[in-house]
Amino acid sequence: MLKSTFTAFYRSFVRHPLYALLNLLGLSLGIAVFIALSLFYRFETSYESWSPKLPQIYAIGMRFHFPGMTDNTGDGSMGGLLEELKTAYPQTEGTRYWPNSVIVHKGADVFNEQIDLVDANFLTFFGVPVVYGNSANALSDPSHVVLSASLARKYFGVTNAVGRTMILNDEEGLKNYTVSAIIADLPKNSVMKLDILRLLTPQRTALKYNWHHWGSVQVGTYLKFKNRTEAYAFAAQFPAFTDRQAGQSFGADVMPHKVLELKLIPLADVHLISPKLKAAVISLGVVGIVALALALINYVNLATARAGLRAREVAVRKTLGAAPLVLRLQFILEALLTLLLAFVVALSFVELSLPLLNSAGGLSLKLDYHADAIWIASVLAIVMLAGLIAALYPAFALSAFKPAQVLASSRTPGGGRTAGILRTGLAMVQFTAVAVAFILIMGFMLQIHHIQNADIGFQRSNLMIVNSIRDNAVTQSQRDAFAVEARALPGVSYVTIANAIPGDTSMINNSSIVRPGQVDSATESPTVSSSIVGPDYFELLGTKVLVGRIFDVQRGEDQMWDDKTSDKDRVYSVVISRRTTKDMGFPSPQAALNQIARFNDHTVRIIGIVEDMRFYNPNEPIPAKLYAFDAHASDSVVGMVRYQGLSAPAMREKLQHLWRQIAPAVPFDVTSAADNLDKYYKPERDRTNLFTMGAGIAALIGCIGLYGMAAFNTGRRVREIGVRKVLGASAGQVVRLLLLQFLRPVAIAGLIAWPLGWLALQRWLSQFDDAIAMPLWVFPLASGIALAIALVTVAGVAFGAASSEPGKALRHE
Amino acid sequence: MTNLIELQNITRLYRSDEVETTALHNISLHIKRGEFVAIMGPSGCGKSTLLNILGTIDRPTSGAYLFDGTDLAKTSENQLAKHRAGHLGFIFQSFNLVDDLTIYENIELGLLYRSGLKGSRRKAIESAMDKVGIAHRARHFPHQLSGGQQQRAAIARAIVGSPDLILADEPTGNLDTENGAQVMQILQSLNAAGATIIMVTHSQSHADQARRQVDILDGQLVASVAQVL
Ligand SMILES: Nc1ncnc2c1ncn2[C@@H]1O[C@H](COP(=O)(O)OP(=O)(O)O)[C@@H](O)[C@H]1O
Ligand SMILES: [Mg+2]
Repeated sequence: MLKSTFTAFYRSFVRHPLYALLNLLGLSLGIAVFIALSLFYRFETSYESWSPKLPQIYAIGMRFHFPGMTDNTGDGSMGGLLEELKTAYPQTEGTRYWPNSVIVHKGADVFNEQIDLVDANFLTFFGVPVVYGNSANALSDPSHVVLSASLARKYFGVTNAVGRTMILNDEEGLKNYTVSAIIADLPKNSVMKLDILRLLTPQRTALKYNWHHWGSVQVGTYLKFKNRTEAYAFAAQFPAFTDRQAGQSFGADVMPHKVLELKLIPLADVHLISPKLKAAVISLGVVGIVALALALINYVNLATARAGLRAREVAVRKTLGAAPLVLRLQFILEALLTLLLAFVVALSFVELSLPLLNSAGGLSLKLDYHADAIWIASVLAIVMLAGLIAALYPAFALSAFKPAQVLASSRTPGGGRTAGILRTGLAMVQFTAVAVAFILIMGFMLQIHHIQNADIGFQRSNLMIVNSIRDNAVTQSQRDAFAVEARALPGVSYVTIANAIPGDTSMINNSSIVRPGQVDSATESPTVSSSIVGPDYFELLGTKVLVGRIFDVQRGEDQMWDDKTSDKDRVYSVVISRRTTKDMGFPSPQAALNQIARFNDHTVRIIGIVEDMRFYNPNEPIPAKLYAFDAHASDSVVGMVRYQGLSAPAMREKLQHLWRQIAPAVPFDVTSAADNLDKYYKPERDRTNLFTMGAGIAALIGCIGLYGMAAFNTGRRVREIGVRKVLGASAGQVVRLLLLQFLRPVAIAGLIAWPLGWLALQRWLSQFDDAIAMPLWVFPLASGIALAIALVTVAGVAFGAASSEPGKALRHE
Repeated sequence: MTNLIELQNITRLYRSDEVETTALHNISLHIKRGEFVAIMGPSGCGKSTLLNILGTIDRPTSGAYLFDGTDLAKTSENQLAKHRAGHLGFIFQSFNLVDDLTIYENIELGLLYRSGLKGSRRKAIESAMDKVGIAHRARHFPHQLSGGQQQRAAIARAIVGSPDLILADEPTGNLDTENGAQVMQILQSLNAAGATIIMVTHSQSHADQARRQVDILDGQLVASVAQVL
């Protein structure tokens, strides 16, 4: 039996190479998309799986309920939260992770790195894989550092750098540290990035004024529980705990847990904590499943068609006494063999396309047959199982041929009207998917183009952001010198120093603003994001001034408050954004001008109103802004340089040269505003690329299926076409007849796709704050493209059939 | 009576890679309107080839074919298709009914490629079905019919458009004696009603029912016996 199966399998390739190849190609492509997107799905859903303790670990998340703010759950928490929890619940087992930046000295060179300040139990808590050294006491001494293997190689040339010393410069100043352990590099799908670890000391936390300031977010806090029940029981105590600890942090008459909700997030869920990201990952997984389904539909269609070609053989076998069961079994075995071959071909497709996939999708996927053997085997099992189910129908169809009928008829049986309807229906399903994919691809591209080119309230091109300014090691005089000398560079029109820059949310500061006569309450007053800006800030950005004026360095009265010496009776000048006037309840920006309000215990006067500027994620609403002016802003501020007439690399080089002169001990770090913003667009673009590739291949699979169907149907209809031509049908009429038959299901599919595509696109667009209007023309265009592709696919078959000689087709055999 | 068909020195060669077969050699033949001609000859002698050329579904390698005075050699494929739809009716040995269509729809095919209204079609189809006696099978599919019934349906398809010329290639070849006789009877009455018929047959008794017999041997005409009635 096995032998005859192999023979039949081999012969099918020799006798009907077209069907066999179409079948194999369609299946392989579908399986390849399925494998690739499964890889992607696995990558995205297995974050932090390097930690053997993953199931027991929970991150503390915070969700703020402020008026006018989006209340997404974030995975950060207040620095001192763990200490307060431990005091209240002494049995708490937890650890903290506080990423900071540090300057590493290596000879005369300086490098910027991330240093993570962690609690002493961090390595054992997570079970971080330690290559050299002892995880239990590696972090016990504040003068010790733990390095990742790749960082050890970078600074010492060897992996085992235990005992070596290195010079670091961070908020605690320039110091010598001894390497106490080396940890393995974590895989890319890790939220935590462990490069340099050092003990988080009370001395260090004492430097942070807001370490116990409820509402602030600095660190990642992780807790460990035996099981989910225990974790939920613990989380149930959070509201009461918050109310006890936070007291009046959010106002006199506000229950803190109403404003700040503490949550426990299973460590595995931290990466996909954003529902939008999670939805995007799931949709791509669905594309993989759809591609596999389309390929299996092809398989069913082509296999039933081929079953028809073999009907005579089956009929003869049956008259010779073969049982239907044996025939079915043989057919299923053949199907499994085909699937197995297709799987192998698909793996090679995946291998070949991974580099392209990774660059287009911003990923780092790889197939490791050794480490991923079990995973690959389970994907194979899923494919085989799905294929087995799909193969049942043709197997039964084949064994069900009535020998007498088949042998009496002069032509290939097509499986009757039911099989014909089934094939047409399946083709319709395929092309519905194809047309929906086209609608979505076009919609995605339009929206992405829109957010990348929309008016976002400031000029994003020719704008450099000088991050180095923010470094703790930079002195006030260096900052001032840079501002003056950069301004003098040829091509530079403005330089400013501020703590609000495009694409950087790390300096955001939220507080309530209260108009006289209104209640001062965190749950009722509008929340604004306040920023400190230096001279030329709005001029540099090209911000539109709606009403009033912007800050003027010549007017001493514009200088903002100083927290240490602030004068409670003074009225300070602030500029607010259009959105803020709305949130504060002014009927128009004009109405807000010169109004007085309370902000952070200061009395402020609104001297001007500026247009909203989209600095951050286009998915999120633009926050309400309040700007205060500081002629010499100093606390975590960044520089911005506006230039024209020279290229970005040339500008960078000039700035770098200047920086080296002014602050050689601080690494030069400059990005363009466009690059900084691109991080918001890139994930969307990457996912659209992935989607486009998957959907494009799905469309190809649909075309292969349609071509196979057209070739099969036309083959069956050779005699009929001959008859029609003899009866006076012209070639054109025959072509029309055939095309109509092949294209009708595609055209219907094109229409079915409209409502489906509408719903899907509508849903996707709704995640953007600044979404395009539903592009109606996309719908007929998508269906038109699907139809055109189908037309090109089957036109050859139809013309070939129509121009054949009827005399030959009708020769009596 | 005028000549409906004039064949002048018709030759048909089949060329495959190396072999060249002469299916017809220098055939000249005149057929008058209203004639009933039987073509006879051993298998492979070129009968079907001749019939296909007469039916314009094959073209001669050389020679002229005049139909009702028009030279068909220079006519385009589309023109020929129109010619077939308007003037010709075909009957095959293996019926060549379309499996997916009902008997009614199969017969309708005979009218599909000529101009005319749907309403008048219906009458023509019903009268054609009456003539061959299969009206009660209109809604059946070909495989539900016996061979004789299928051939009668095929004849109905051939005559539904009242063609000038009916071409029949061994119409009784797949039928038993009784059904064969029935088919011959139908052809006889069609001829009596004015149709010109050219029929290939292996049966001498069926050939005898025609008014004239043409014998072919190895692609050449042997004799042409006009039967005088
Ligand atoms: N399409 C073709 N290609 C090559 N040879 C053909 C073709 N059709 C017919 N022939 C040859 O031409 C000759 C006449 O065939 P045909 O007219 O079918 O004979 P019959 O008298 O049996 O109907 C035969 O030798 C046949 O093999
Ligand atoms: Mg013949």
